[in-house]
Amino acid sequence: MASSPLPPNPAIDMPTGHPDSSHVAPTAPAWLALTETSAALPTDTDVLVIGGGLIGCALTYYLARAGVEVTLLERGELNRAASGTNAGSFHLQIAIHQLTGLEVDSLADRLLTEIRLYVEGARLWEELETELQGSLEMHTTGGLMVAETDAELALLHAKQRIEADAGLETHVLEGAELRSFAPFLADDLKGATYCPAEGHANPLLAAPLYALRASQAGAAIRTNAAVHSIDIGTQGGFTVHTARGRVRAARIVNAAGGWTNEVAAMIGQHHPVRRDGLHVNVTEPRERLLTPLVQHIGRRLTLKQASNNTFIIGGGWPSRAHGADGGYRTVWESTAGNVGVAVRVVPALADVRLLRTWSGALAFTDDLEPLVGASRRVPGYFTCMATTGFTLGPLMARMLAETLAHPAARSPLPDHFAPDRTASAAPAHP
Amino acid sequence: MSLPRSTTDVLVVGGGPAGLAAAAQAAAAGLMVTLVDERVTLGGQIYKRVGPGFAVEDPRAIGRDYAAGNHLIAAVDSPRIDVRLRTTALAIEGMTVILCADESHTVAVEAERIVLAPGAYDRPVAFPGWTLPGVLTAGGAQTLVKTQGVLPGERIVFAGSGPVALAFPAQLHHLGAGVVTVCEAGPPPGPSDVAAMLRAAAGNLSLLRDAIGYRAELLRARIPLRYGRIVVAAEGDGRIEAVVHAAVDREWRVIPGSEERVACDALCLGYGFLPSVELPRLAGCALDEDEDLGGAVVRLDEWMRTTVPNIHAAGDGTGVEGSLVAIDEGRLAALGVAMDLGALTREAAEERARPLRRRLRQRSAFRSALRRMHRVGPGIYELSTPDTMICRCEELTRARIDPAIAASTDPGVVKGLTRAGMGLCQGRNCERTIAALIARRHGLELASLPPTNPRLPARPVSLGAIADQEIEDHGFFTAAAEPRD
Ligand SMILES: Cc1cc2nc3c(=O)[nH]c(=O)nc-3n(C[C@H](O)[C@H](O)[C@H](O)COP(=O)(O)OP(=O)(O)OC[C@H]3O[C@@H](n4cnc5c(N)ncnc54)[C@H](O)[C@@H]3O)c2cc1C
Ligand SMILES: Cc1cc2nc3c(=O)[nH]c(=O)nc-3n(C[C@H](O)[C@H](O)[C@H](O)COP(=O)(O)OP(=O)(O)OC[C@H]3O[C@@H](n4cnc5c(N)ncnc54)[C@H](O)[C@@H]3O)c2cc1C
Repeated sequence: MASSPLPPNPAIDMPTGHPDSSHVAPTAPAWLALTETSAALPTDTDVLVIGGGLIGCALTYYLARAGVEVTLLERGELNRAASGTNAGSFHLQIAIHQLTGLEVDSLADRLLTEIRLYVEGARLWEELETELQGSLEMHTTGGLMVAETDAELALLHAKQRIEADAGLETHVLEGAELRSFAPFLADDLKGATYCPAEGHANPLLAAPLYALRASQAGAAIRTNAAVHSIDIGTQGGFTVHTARGRVRAARIVNAAGGWTNEVAAMIGQHHPVRRDGLHVNVTEPRERLLTPLVQHIGRRLTLKQASNNTFIIGGGWPSRAHGADGGYRTVWESTAGNVGVAVRVVPALADVRLLRTWSGALAFTDDLEPLVGASRRVPGYFTCMATTGFTLGPLMARMLAETLAHPAARSPLPDHFAPDRTASAAPAHP
Repeated sequence: MSLPRSTTDVLVVGGGPAGLAAAAQAAAAGLMVTLVDERVTLGGQIYKRVGPGFAVEDPRAIGRDYAAGNHLIAAVDSPRIDVRLRTTALAIEGMTVILCADESHTVAVEAERIVLAPGAYDRPVAFPGWTLPGVLTAGGAQTLVKTQGVLPGERIVFAGSGPVALAFPAQLHHLGAGVVTVCEAGPPPGPSDVAAMLRAAAGNLSLLRDAIGYRAELLRARIPLRYGRIVVAAEGDGRIEAVVHAAVDREWRVIPGSEERVACDALCLGYGFLPSVELPRLAGCALDEDEDLGGAVVRLDEWMRTTVPNIHAAGDGTGVEGSLVAIDEGRLAALGVAMDLGALTREAAEERARPLRRRLRQRSAFRSALRRMHRVGPGIYELSTPDTMICRCEELTRARIDPAIAASTDPGVVKGLTRAGMGLCQGRNCERTIAALIARRHGLELASLPPTNPRLPARPVSLGAIADQEIEDHGFFTAAAEPRD
């Protein structure tokens, strides 16, 4: 792949008349028609999905489509937690956190598997608008990952080789080639990898559309139905107590994202999952400056110019917990630090105004592997959770749905995704 | 953090009447004060400095405010007060306030006490045609007149409610502007109102005298003052050419068939003000609801302490009650601060607070007396039609927002679904209108709706001014940096 010709630069091929550059808000989405979420809860169900984020909604859809009797319970409204507040980017390139302090080659095997998974996740997204028959405002814009130092540039080359092996097309750009490809980047950057398959979709559309299609395929979707406690039946099965009454379920799936462990605790389990607040900045709209996603191999930055021409800047800066239950307040240090990296990489941003910051609750595992599959300790209990969950969530949901729909068949899910794998990474740190 | 830092006893945010009075009073008690305002001059909303080539000498019109403003401004010329103009408070974290200076860089000030006095802004009212050029808010028109000496038009219609609906047209007329009609949404004063005003007259004679003077000025000039009428549409091709006004009931709901059209070249709107609660909300101060005081108002104790320790608030930013109340509240806040910091004994603070409190009680009695006439009716938020622009920044009409309003009672959800309130003004111009539409649609109390999340910065700011290269990057997911085996 390294030698394949560089694809055309989308920044040049995207004239101002492109729909991606129009400054319009989404029209009222069709899924607002989903009204039966306040109906009474069913008394019995085969699979009960807990959590109405992207993963819970996608899982419910794939199960309903496979003919499985399924109920989804969301404690608030659908898509209001991580899935509705994320940046909506498809991250396919290997990110720094998977490489820090390690020889890339010693990790090659693990990275290969992982990249293949991401490539498959991206393929699923590409077909998703057709599958769900509705717009998700998908844009395959390509993505750059920049290097500031020689060491980082070396990392880009190493990473590019693994990505090529895994079937992910990336190109390392340096010097004049980089400057003509991405003139908006600071001209003292050492290099960048370009991945044509990266892009973004509208996070406000995906989960609700999954939910609508799931409901049309026969799933019961209920909101304002927080799960408070779960009894494990002596004959198998579960009795789930909620804010709106009781449901008996043969199997349950914990898709509570950042609250995975709160739900797990209801059946005496604990998973190697933590929750953290993630900071995002958004600016006023400006004339189109850049089209691809921009990331940094060594510092925390993800940056893009959205469809409405605002710049969305994130990359993993923390926000501060506020209140007991997963609320977060943005903090100045993250604002100034995150913006600092952005202006360093794209200097023209200096005179663009910041309008707002926001934050969402991100769930991540200590080893950063997805937590998807059947529990060995509690039969009938499953989890479905992934860290880069916008990119990977639909794929994880589809894989778990397959396992649930065909219990006898061999599960496509690798063992090291299992919810009660022993946590091998460092212990949770404060 | 690598920001330049300084410390002070008291940081006052806002250099309007409330902030000026607070700063002067705190300095008088021996405290070191930092006073910041984002504008280029002190004085706030009412004592805006007049621009060059435009002077008013008449004490009855803007000139008197000018003199009173000079007095307050002179009082902050003190070695104990560090006045910083063109300095915007962006965020509050604990007792540290992040300030953007000269639109170019940020600094942090750490204070023993903070007094928030950010003032208020005009209550936006969405009706067909409200975005036409030539439609202005009273505050906008006042800025135009006071700072640039420009009159908004030659045939002006004024529509609004409350004392401003009398004062402002009279002032405009006095300055030579042609005012063709004044619409006051509330009812005319009846005998019971006059009696109530007289009962509350103690300490408020100057206000009464002003009102009578303004009324007389309108009468003399034969400017029709139409009570119980509201502007329901502005019309014109590319610019305002006429307004339609109509009679309303006690809830400010339009009585069909009562419409009248009047030709004009400007429309000034004065339906009161909404407190700027961005900073109190960022600081975590508890708010209450009071539509007559502007909606969300800051909860305060008898020393103007908010519910967040060591943060006080005063003036229109805590609930809109005019400049005289703002001044007294600013002083009271400073007395509370001085007492809490030990710069004044409790007795001394109480003694100085007594006359302030008495005046504040008198004002509050006067306001209650006016309430029947000037309380804000919910009809004010119901004038839009499907084509009416609700969120200007994101260019969203009512028709674009209605489906989301039908789907959810949570303003945060509606915002997420539509992007309404996510633009440059950050919802200042549409949030309350949308909340009111939600409340009406679902039969709820406006006050019962959950607020959207407070998010910094309090004002738009250029990325270059805040970018900080020095902040240590701890790395994302630090736990994962450990090798796996
Ligand atoms: C700010 C931010 C930016 C991000 N950017 C990206 C990105 O650009 N690309 C990317 O791939 N990923 C990104 N992510 C990650 C991605 O958003 C998440 O991994 C993904 O949305 C997880 O989906 P989920 O359905 O598991 O979780 P969630 O969307 O959080 O859903 C969990 C749901 O469970 C519900 N729930 C919890 N407890 C209960 C209970 N007891 N009973 C009933 N319901 C319950 C919650 O209310 C919630 O709705 C970002 C995350 C954040 C926070
Ligand atoms: C058209 C009009 C007519 C009026 N007529 C009268 C009248 O006749 N009589 C009367 O009593 N009152 C009148 N008022 C009301 C009067 O102006 C206010 O009551 C008074 O100014 C309130 O004082 P304040 O100090 O609370 O707020 P303001 O005067 O609004 O001052 C607030 C200050 O804070 C600053 N500020 C806000 N946020 C920030 C931030 N984040 N960082 C830095 N600085 C910030 C602003 O720049 C402003 O200077 C009128 C107002 C208007 C608009």
